[in-house]
Amino acid sequence: MFHLQILLMAFRGLKQNLVRSLLATLGVIIGVGAVVSAVSILEGAQRNILDRFESLGADQVLIFNGSDRKSHRQVQTSSLLPKDSDLIAEENKDIIVAAAPQYSGAGQVKFYEKNAFATILGATESYAPMYQYKVAQGRFLTREDVRGNAMVAVLGYKVANEIFGALPSVGKTVKINGKSFILIGVMEEKGAYGFIELDSQVIIPLSTAMGRMFGQRYLNMLVVQCTSAARVPACIERVKKTLRASHQISAGDDDDFIVFTQDQFKQQLGQVALIFGVVLYSIAGISIIVGAIGIMNIMLVSVTERTREIGVRIAVGARRFDILKQFLAEASIISMFGGALGIVFGWAISNLLSELTQVLETYTPPIIIALALLMAIMVGIVSGIYPAIRASRLDPVQALRYE
Amino acid sequence: MIEAAQLRKEYHMGDSVVHALAGVDLRIQPGEFVSITGASGSGKSTLMHILGCLDRPTSGIVRVAGETVSALNDKQLARIRNQHIGFVFQTFNLINRTTAFDNVLVPLVYTRRAFAKKAARDALERVGLGKRSKHRPSEMSGGECQRVAIARAIVNKPRLILADEPTGNLDTRTGEQIMQIFHELHADGITILVVTHEMDVAVQAQRMIHMKDGNIVEDTAVDDHRREQILTQAHDVHTRAFRQKAAAKAILPAAARVPEVGGWPTSFGGGGGDDRGHDAERESSSPPGPKDLGYPAEVDPVRE
Repeated sequence: MFHLQILLMAFRGLKQNLVRSLLATLGVIIGVGAVVSAVSILEGAQRNILDRFESLGADQVLIFNGSDRKSHRQVQTSSLLPKDSDLIAEENKDIIVAAAPQYSGAGQVKFYEKNAFATILGATESYAPMYQYKVAQGRFLTREDVRGNAMVAVLGYKVANEIFGALPSVGKTVKINGKSFILIGVMEEKGAYGFIELDSQVIIPLSTAMGRMFGQRYLNMLVVQCTSAARVPACIERVKKTLRASHQISAGDDDDFIVFTQDQFKQQLGQVALIFGVVLYSIAGISIIVGAIGIMNIMLVSVTERTREIGVRIAVGARRFDILKQFLAEASIISMFGGALGIVFGWAISNLLSELTQVLETYTPPIIIALALLMAIMVGIVSGIYPAIRASRLDPVQALRYE
Repeated sequence: MIEAAQLRKEYHMGDSVVHALAGVDLRIQPGEFVSITGASGSGKSTLMHILGCLDRPTSGIVRVAGETVSALNDKQLARIRNQHIGFVFQTFNLINRTTAFDNVLVPLVYTRRAFAKKAARDALERVGLGKRSKHRPSEMSGGECQRVAIARAIVNKPRLILADEPTGNLDTRTGEQIMQIFHELHADGITILVVTHEMDVAVQAQRMIHMKDGNIVEDTAVDDHRREQILTQAHDVHTRAFRQKAAAKAILPAAARVPEVGGWPTSFGGGGGDDRGHDAERESSSPPGPKDLGYPAEVDPVRE
């Protein structure tokens, strides 16, 4: 449709008013850049969070204190006891593999002059197998450690590295929040589990953590491992039944605990992502519209300015469609050029953001590059069509007289 | 070449109707050189725009180059303008941001013809601007600009050239050079219609049409006798000066002519045009048909 001559003419037209053309391009660069960076940020965050949720395991059920229903009656905010974990595991052996009760708090680990801040996790012997979390040196907690309130600790990979580096650590005595613990093992590097950084944890027996360390009655969290992902719903029912009985909740009253699965997390994430998406895409959309208006404005000025030229072109045999094409080509060149630069700009911005913040992970899906280019072309056509139509409808006699 | 019957053009200005053309009948034979004169608002420009397929009559029939253009659509009109008609304007109407060459190329963009560049080069050579093709209009004199405009008008080898006050923005001497080019084109068999209000330009045509209030009030053939008569009647200094010049030229022989080498002659007598000692070719009343042109013998039209 656009033969070379008309494209060349359009190029020359733009070159003539280089600064103006570049300013019009800038609008598209910012608009497309905003879209690309918005998508990259959103996509990166979503992927990052999804990855974390994937690590939770589809066959696990997480139980927290609290209530997710609006209730008229006061519900005790903390309710999960260490014995609940045993009960759940005992009563539902057919469907539940293991239950891992957890209590965690902040703490400082000290070895002579070296020290590190870490999450102090109280756990039982079922914790490591549930996450396929393996010991790199020494051993993990045993049932006896937990029963005996032993003052023993297993270091996460990062903590061990921070304090001991390459030196042997098993058998050494460290101070955790001022209390002496014997190191019995170091865990392998594992990364994140949900939002917990496993490698920055120090694991001590649950009983020790809840008793001597933090003096708490209730658990933070209870993780239940079902026999399979398919049996998770059944598993939840059984967990609820056991817990309601244990907590002596009468029929009709609300649970005093919350049950979560990977699926539920994903759904919630979806909703959050949707909200962020709406906000980010709205901003990006507005910038695109502003860019389009910029092009349209420039094109209208250009048409008015070149009224005589249009008259001449018609006089020497340009069809109205030829005039339309020329101006549409100019608008499209602006928008495509702006689109291409905008993609680079958006990609750079999103990378810079992730570089600067260190927490924001961004990802630019290849498809968005194609989509952004397509969008840029659309912007060119949409914003160029009206000025182009105006140009093509000029009365040549009037146009030739135009001053 | 041109046939117009009962041509009317009305403009609505608020409640009143302006009759720009009030029933014009006109026949112009192929190869004629016609001038149209008339006061502002006499309808001469409107007539030219309609004959040039830029405007449509309110009523009446127009035939140009064998086609009934009053019945054609926009696209067909564009084709006729492109192929058969060349326009020359008072203000040149060149595209200032591009070179002379690109300006001449513009009609060919819409023709999509092969060898367009050669055609554009030839047309520029023909108006004596072969060496100025890379210059922009801002770097050229008015006369040169108008010559570029003429090159643009002839690049598609039209059969009809419509010139609207082609010398109106030029000094007398440059205007004469431009008219000279028209004479040469006319000699090649191109039909030429010049709208002007300068009497010394108008009398160079073979036929003078005078318009008033949207009507043709005078339509006379111009021979030497008539030309002398008109010029005698004219009183302004400008015209008298022309008369003296014309008289001086009449005694010069038609010298320095070489036979045409087929196709376009390549030049109108070299670069600036100011070295043309004798404008001997000025024979405005000569009959239409191929005629020798005074281009220098050293320019080989085949080579370029």
